[in-house]
Parts: sequence; structure tokens; C-alpha cells
Amino acid sequence: MIFSSIFFLFVFLPITLILYYIVPRKLKNLMLLLCSLIFYAWGEPVYVFLMLFSIVFNYLSGLEMNTYIENEDEKRLKFCFYMTVVVNLGILGFFKYYGFLVENLNVLLPFDIPYKELPLPIGISFYTFQTLSYIIDVYKGRVAVQKNFVSFGAYVTMFPQLIAGPIVRYADIEKQLAVRTLSWYRFGEGVTWFLRGLGKKVLLANNIGAAYEAIAAMAVGERSVVTAWVGALAFAMQIYFDFGGYSDMAVGLGKMFGFDFVRNFNYPYTAKSITDFWRRWHISLGTWFREYVYIPLGGNRVSALKHVRNILIVWMLTGFWHGATWNFIFWGLYYGLLLILEKFVLARFLEKLPGIIQQIYTFVLVLFGWVFFFSPTMKDAAAYLGNMFGINGSGLVDSMGLYYLAGNLILLLICIICSRPFPWKLFHRATMKKGWAPSIAAAAFYGAVLILSVAYLVNATYNPFLYFRF
Amino acid sequence: MKKNSLTPEQKQKMRRERSFKIYWKVTAIFLAALLFVGVYLIFHKDKDYSETENRMLAQKPVFSLANVASGKFMTDMESYVTDQFFARDWQISLKLFEDSLLGKRESNGVYIGKKDQLMEIPDTKDYPYVEDNLEAIRDFAGRQSGVNTVMTLVPNAAYICDQLLPANAPVRDQGEDIERAKNVVSSSVNFVDVTETLKSHKEEYIYYRTDHHWTSLGAKYTFEALADSLGIPNPAQSYTVYPVTHDFSGTLSAKSGYDKARDIIDIYVPEGMDTSCVVNYVDEQKKSASIYSSKDLEERDKYEVFFGGNYSRIDISRANEEKKNLLLIKDSYANCFVQFLLPYYRNIIIIDPRYYYDDIDKLVHDNEITDVLFLYNVNTFMEDNSLADVLAAEDGEQ
Repeated sequence: MIFSSIFFLFVFLPITLILYYIVPRKLKNLMLLLCSLIFYAWGEPVYVFLMLFSIVFNYLSGLEMNTYIENEDEKRLKFCFYMTVVVNLGILGFFKYYGFLVENLNVLLPFDIPYKELPLPIGISFYTFQTLSYIIDVYKGRVAVQKNFVSFGAYVTMFPQLIAGPIVRYADIEKQLAVRTLSWYRFGEGVTWFLRGLGKKVLLANNIGAAYEAIAAMAVGERSVVTAWVGALAFAMQIYFDFGGYSDMAVGLGKMFGFDFVRNFNYPYTAKSITDFWRRWHISLGTWFREYVYIPLGGNRVSALKHVRNILIVWMLTGFWHGATWNFIFWGLYYGLLLILEKFVLARFLEKLPGIIQQIYTFVLVLFGWVFFFSPTMKDAAAYLGNMFGINGSGLVDSMGLYYLAGNLILLLICIICSRPFPWKLFHRATMKKGWAPSIAAAAFYGAVLILSVAYLVNATYNPFLYFRF
Repeated sequence: MKKNSLTPEQKQKMRRERSFKIYWKVTAIFLAALLFVGVYLIFHKDKDYSETENRMLAQKPVFSLANVASGKFMTDMESYVTDQFFARDWQISLKLFEDSLLGKRESNGVYIGKKDQLMEIPDTKDYPYVEDNLEAIRDFAGRQSGVNTVMTLVPNAAYICDQLLPANAPVRDQGEDIERAKNVVSSSVNFVDVTETLKSHKEEYIYYRTDHHWTSLGAKYTFEALADSLGIPNPAQSYTVYPVTHDFSGTLSAKSGYDKARDIIDIYVPEGMDTSCVVNYVDEQKKSASIYSSKDLEERDKYEVFFGGNYSRIDISRANEEKKNLLLIKDSYANCFVQFLLPYYRNIIIIDPRYYYDDIDKLVHDNEITDVLFLYNVNTFMEDNSLADVLAAEDGEQ
């Protein structure tokens, strides 16, 4: 089930809210767990058992590790910890990377290993990282073990962040699992977050995504320079508003249920360097890798050479986390190299440039990155990048390019404007003024976003039967 | 009291109060919407059929363990709720309105052109059967000695009426397709290119605004361009035009969801000429005294007023002195074209190869066919995968 669907919005959400709010405080985590399991099983009626296994396994591992900590049994603790990590990564690896591994082995080996591609369980990359954050922090003694199975289950399955993040670290939410306040203030704040996210996803991302898809489907020779740039720009906007919108909805839903999640995006396209970009893009993933990979490897408090190594490892893994293809690995390494370059060379020069130039520099590099991200293979990525510079394409500008540019200009401008902080600041300032009118205007705005988005959601099944095709 | 005389705590408190003024209103709207739709979904009566989309709407799915395990129950449930949603048709119009505000000029494979003109977007891909079909036509015509074979491919609205296209909208070069067809078949077929004829009338009402067909007027101009090749020396000079409906909303309107315009369907009756005939729907074993089917004017697809749609074989026989017998091999563009052919033949046999499986060589021979006309629109012709089979020589002949 996705948030941006009629069924979620008008059936699942109201029922869940009612059930959650009518049960006594003590049972709220249980209710949240049950509703989340239904939410997950709705899309994955089989893999829900895999997730249940993962919950039980990690819950028990936590308890076991806790006994070893209490008994000060270093050896067993270590063994149990590594076993748990290996099992978690093993499950993730099997479902997400096995096909990729075998495919590449088959290229190298003289014989073929047969394999059958398994469908990837929804959200497995997210919930595996969440349980790992718990296991690692228990091992390091940074959080107390969770003895309550329901609370632990609710943490892993919590439907607002289950399938697309943010990756909520256990440490961040430990207290809220035990005590949290439900208030109309927080609920209302959650609704505004949710509606903003819904609008971003449905009105902006889905619409601009159509332009990207049309352009990506074109043959290499048909794309002019203008077409290729419009396509890459459209994708950049689509993925930001899609993922960012989804994260906003997650934060909003979290608040409706009394939770505060970390913010996942912070105007990434206004970043003034690649380093800055990754402090603003998918923040919860960056934090996870920093906490659980980069710092344990020694971070930057090591020799320059090891520092470079650490960066490359982290970014290769970040890329690989996004998907099991060479493109994603390359995409990750691309950022690793850019970050190293900035750290050791470019930073000094960049600082002296005007802010807008820094932003353009960053955005263009990010755009090239997206080409690797959205292309199915490295060859396609190279061809698309070529098109952006007029190689093998259909010239600098053709009527197709103008058609896509003109047809999406309004939308692109809206997207670019909305990816910057000033419209929100203006809106916020205007609607927080004294008197009754500003708050009504704000409410009308949110109401309009809801109505306009619902029209698109209803349209998802618009499917006229063309009885008279010929 | 000045603002900056507030303490940070007071400022914080004021911000919270102002925020809450917004939050409670948004919450009220949001919960009211959920409640309203919830009540609607529980108490409304399910609709079976959508007039706009011309299809059955999804109904409440059946609960069973097998359906749940396969996920079918869940997807069906989502379609059900979405299909039965409050004011569905209105929501669809709103979505199209939003699209137009955002400057979108195509919807579901249809260009939304100027002056409410809808145009099917011709595919840009290569079609696998074209070459085979063209060669089959060439060979078929080569086998029929003494028979005059004429062919034309009618370009579609997007190619002819370029002045109504959205700015810079890419369109497949149908001129190339026509040129290619001409090159393959011209050794045995009299191929007539009507592109220029239609282009010279592109400001007129030669294509429906809401449908992918041409109008009777477009057919008339094409007939006049073909008359010579068909050996019709004195075609009718004037016609009485009867508008049979002003309320036609065609396929493109349904496909795009864009429902602004209504079309007029005209029928043309040549003045001072006899057009009485007997129409025989061979496979259906139905007879009629008219090529028009007026009951279809009550239906949604009013273009079916011509012959009531597409049939495998229709024989038209006439009691006149003409000597010529025509075999018309065609798609639905030809349905409104036949009204112009009527006066000049004794018999007209209309074959739609998509539904016809018998031996055509034999048909030509047995019915003393003197003329053969292939009439298709470019879009359908490019996609057709039945012509080559139907036209192939039967074993043992030649």
C-alpha cells in the first residue's frame, strides 16, 4: 500500500486512526504493530512472514546480548553480535544482491550457476538498517535492550516509515516508544506535513515524472541537447519530490501517531557543495552510514590514505544500498570521488565563489549523478550523458526538445521554485500573521492541495474501454 | 507592546498559538474529508457502469484465502474503492483541468490541439508487418489480370492539420510511410497519394474533433481525387448534405478524457442519382435497404451510423445499368466513403481483412470484379497484421 492512494487515504488511515485513538494508552503500541502488519501484508502477503522472522530474531538476539553484557561475557557477546549482523545482512544479501552476484560470477566462471530472480521484499533495505541500528547500539551499550516484544515490533514495522524511510534509528525513538504525548497540536502539525508531502508526490513528482519517462524512452539518436537536459532535470525534480514528499508524509503520519522522526531532506538542491548536498539529501541514510560504517572505520581521524579509503568504502556501500547494479555502485563511487576531491582540493576555491555559482556547480554534478542513477545500464548512462553534450543525438535543439520544454516549463519552474526555501518562508510568514484571515488562507491552501491531489489519485484507474479502436 | 520586547518564551508561545490556529483548521478540513468520504463509501450504492469510460466499474472483491495470499484481493479492493469514489467523473475532469493549467497538451496518447481538436499521436516505432502487407498487395494485384487496382492511404489528422497541433508537437512523417507504400506497390497498383488534396482543405472540417476518423467531407474530397483512377468519368457535382447528429463524442474524447467538443456527422446524397441498394451482411445473414444504420445514432459510437460498424464481408447490390463491380478492401475509414461510390457500380463487395478468412482470388473471379480499391488510414495500415494472410495466393493456384 502506498500513502498516495485512495485506499490508504480514505480507508486504511481513518480506520487505523480510530482504532489507535480509542484503545487505552497501554495497548497503543500493540494496535500500531497490528495495523502496520496489515499495512505491510497488504502489499506483501508472503514476505510479511520474513519480516516477522526478522523481528523475532533480532528481538531475541537483543535479549541474548543483554544477558552477556550483564554477565560481562565479552566473547559470547561478540560472537552473538557478529552472528546477528551476518544473519541480517545475509537475508538482505540473499533477496537483494544474490541475483547480481550470480550474474557477475557467471560472466567470470567457465560454467553457469543457475538462479531464479526473486522479487525484492518491499522495504527490506529500510527495516534491515533499522534493526541493525538497534543491534549495534545494544552491543555498544548505547541503548538499553528492549524487553517488550510489542514495542520492538512496533519500532520495526511502524507503517509511516516502513517502506520508504526515513531510516529511524532505534536510539532516536527509544523514549517515544515508551512515552509519547498525543495532542491536537501535534496531530495538526502532522496533517500539514502529510498534505505537503502528498502534494509534492502527486502534483509535482508524478507529473514531471511523465516528462522524464517519455524522454528516457526515446532512442539515443532522437534526443537533442535540450531534450536530454529537460529529461535529466525532470528526473532530478521527480526523485526529489517523490522521495521528499514521501518522507514528509511519513513525518506527518508519525506525528499523527505521536512520534517525531528526523527530517530526511533539507532543500538538497540549494546545496553549495557535494559535501553539503549529502547533508541535505536522504539525511537518515547518510547518518546511518556515518554512525555505523564511517566512524567505526576510523572516520577522518586517521591517516589521509585511510581517510580516503573510508570515504570510498562508505560511498560504494551507499550506492550499492540503492540497488544491485553496477550503475548504483558507480553512482556511489562518483560521489565518493567528488567528496574526496572537494575535501582535499576544491573546497578552498569553492568557498571564494559566489553562492549561486556554488549551487549551480553542485546541481550540475548532481544531475550527472542522476543519469547513472536512472539509466538501466552503464552503457545507457554513457549514451545519455553523450546526448547532454550533443554526441550522437539530434543536434542542439529540435522541435521535440522544444515541445517537451514548452509542455513542462510551468511545471519545471514550479518544481524549481518549490525546491528552494523562500516560498515556504513567505507562506509561513504570511500565514503566521495576526488576525483570523491568515490562518484561514493557510487552511484553504491545504484543503486545495488535498482536493487537487485526490483528483489525480482517482484518475489512477481511469481506463476507458475503446470499443471502437479501428 | 512592541514585538521585540517579548521574551523568547513569550515569542515561542505566540508562535505556537498562531500555528495552532492553522493546525486545527487544517485538521478539521482533513478529518471532515475523511469522514465524508468514509460515510459515502459505506452508504452509497455501487455503480456498475461508467458512461464516461464505457466500461464496467470494479465491484466489491470476494474475500478468500487464496485471493489474499496472491494479493489479488488487495489490488481488487484498491481498484474497487477508487472506481466507486465520490464524484468520480468530476474528479477526472478536475485532473484534466489541472493538466491544462500545467501546460500539458497530451493525454493518454492523444494530442489536445488548438480549437479543441483531438488528434491521435501516431506511433514513432517501426511496424513489423508493413513490408509483408505491401508485398502481398503488389502480388495480389499482379495476379488479377484485367482488374483495375487502386490504392490510397489516408493520412491522419495530426499529419494533415498541423496548424491545430500543439506547438512543436512531434508527429511521425506519414508522408514517408505513404512514399514507401507507393514504391512497393506501384508496379501493379495505381497508387493515389491524397496528402496534397487533404492538405489543401486542412482548414475545413475534414476530421472529427473528438474521434480518430475523418468526416464525410474529408471522404468526399478524397473521392473526387480518386474518381479518375477508378474510371468514373462523371462523378456527382452536387450533394444534399444531411447532418444526422450534432452530438457525437468519439474515441479520442473517451481516450483522453477531454470532453469539450461535440461533432456533427453528415451524410452526403448525390443529387439526381439513384442510390437505392440492398446491403447484405454475408456472415451475419442480415439484409438491409440502406448503408446507414440510424439506430446507432442513439448509441455512443455514432460513427457506426455507417453500416453499423465493421463486418467481415458486406455485399451491396444495385438494380442499375452499370457494368462495373468493385471490391473494396478497407478499414473503418472507408465506412463513410462508400456513400460516394454507390452510384457508379452494379455491385460493391466490402471486405475487412481483419475479420475475413476466405479466398479473395476466388471472390474476384466469381463476382466478375472489375475494380479493386484498397482504402486505409495510415495509422491502421501501419499496425495491420491481417492483410498479408488474407491476400496470399491459395495453394495450387498461379
